Amino acid sequence: MGILYGLIGLVILIIIVCWAYIVNKGNAHFELKVAERTPFELVEIQEDSITLNCQVAMVNKGEQLGTIMDCYTRHLLPYEQFDGVQVFSKVELETARREDDYFEALIIERNRRVNLVVTVKLTARKNSDIKSTLAQMVDMPIDIVYQQVTRADWHIEKARIEMKASEVASVANVTLAD
Amino acid sequence: MSEIEIIPVPTRILTDKDDIVDIMEKYAKDKIGPNDVISVAESVVAITQGQIVRPEELELCFLARVLCRFIPEAGSLASPYGMQALMDVEGKWRVFFAFIVGMIAKVFGKSGVFYKLGGEQTALIDDVTGTMPPFDKHIVYGPDKPFEVVKQLKERLGCFGAVIADVNDLKRSRIVGVTEGTDGEKIAHLLIDNPFGNASQKTPIVIIKNFSQYQAKS
Repeated sequence: MGILYGLIGLVILIIIVCWAYIVNKGNAHFELKVAERTPFELVEIQEDSITLNCQVAMVNKGEQLGTIMDCYTRHLLPYEQFDGVQVFSKVELETARREDDYFEALIIERNRRVNLVVTVKLTARKNSDIKSTLAQMVDMPIDIVYQQVTRADWHIEKARIEMKASEVASVANVTLAD
Repeated sequence: MSEIEIIPVPTRILTDKDDIVDIMEKYAKDKIGPNDVISVAESVVAITQGQIVRPEELELCFLARVLCRFIPEAGSLASPYGMQALMDVEGKWRVFFAFIVGMIAKVFGKSGVFYKLGGEQTALIDDVTGTMPPFDKHIVYGPDKPFEVVKQLKERLGCFGAVIADVNDLKRSRIVGVTEGTDGEKIAHLLIDNPFGNASQKTPIVIIKNFSQYQAKS
């Protein structure tokens, strides 16, 4: 009986040691620094469209490296709110810009940050004059969605930035209507 | 005497729809001679064989979740998906046994036991980001029957030899499959600077010109 108790005790001890090791080693922990995003800047303006971009940092605050498998934007501008523009948006790694909108899986080591570039193109839907259209522009939320693989199960998270109408108007040099 | 020369050969992106021997013939036949060796990147051979899986397709078991935590963070088995991919092909209990024995061996100062006992895929699996898009989001296994593949390559191309190599920018160069009579160790040394380039350079073939003379001389 004593041997049995001894074995049970040993198994419990091993489980506790393993658990303590795993907890102590930690995991990757990604955070998008949305509050610190840079202002939207002009990339290109044409008669019927305007393209702007800003930068947002992705930080690994954890104790282990982790992988961002994919990252993409989801802009939210329903026509019920404003139907003057067609929106296109994308996110890229600052150091690996791509024309094909493909986000190459990326390892981020602990305590490291990478910069993401969010690009938004607004095209006038009802006329060919983006400047007059933008006078009616509204604030537009953009979710940055990312899939991560770490020491735990893969999962998808998102963080939101907001492209302010006043920002767009300022960049395009137009005055917002009241 | 002809000098040894290393020539990377660019290709289009290869997929599981391609036959590796046909592709090598298409891209390398006119560049390779009877004294040369053809070297193919391990991950590309595996991809053409369909030896890939997406993490989303794997069902994690408890053991994979726990064991991966004991692998150094940069290793391909450090994610539960890399570990599960290994368990799916080599067997969960075999991997577990190899892990326990490997850990005990490490306590006594012997490294690499886990990789020896865990099955041939233990050292060959590449976790996500290990290869070029669109396979950067896949776990890529090591190639299937590498020695058969190199034999077919040599026969088809009429060259001195053929190898499948696992090379990276961290100065790791390892031969996974090699034809009889070809010195794999010498080739591994020649490939140490990774002439295959980085993942996006699309040069999965490297021709080593005049290798037969080089091997005979040294």
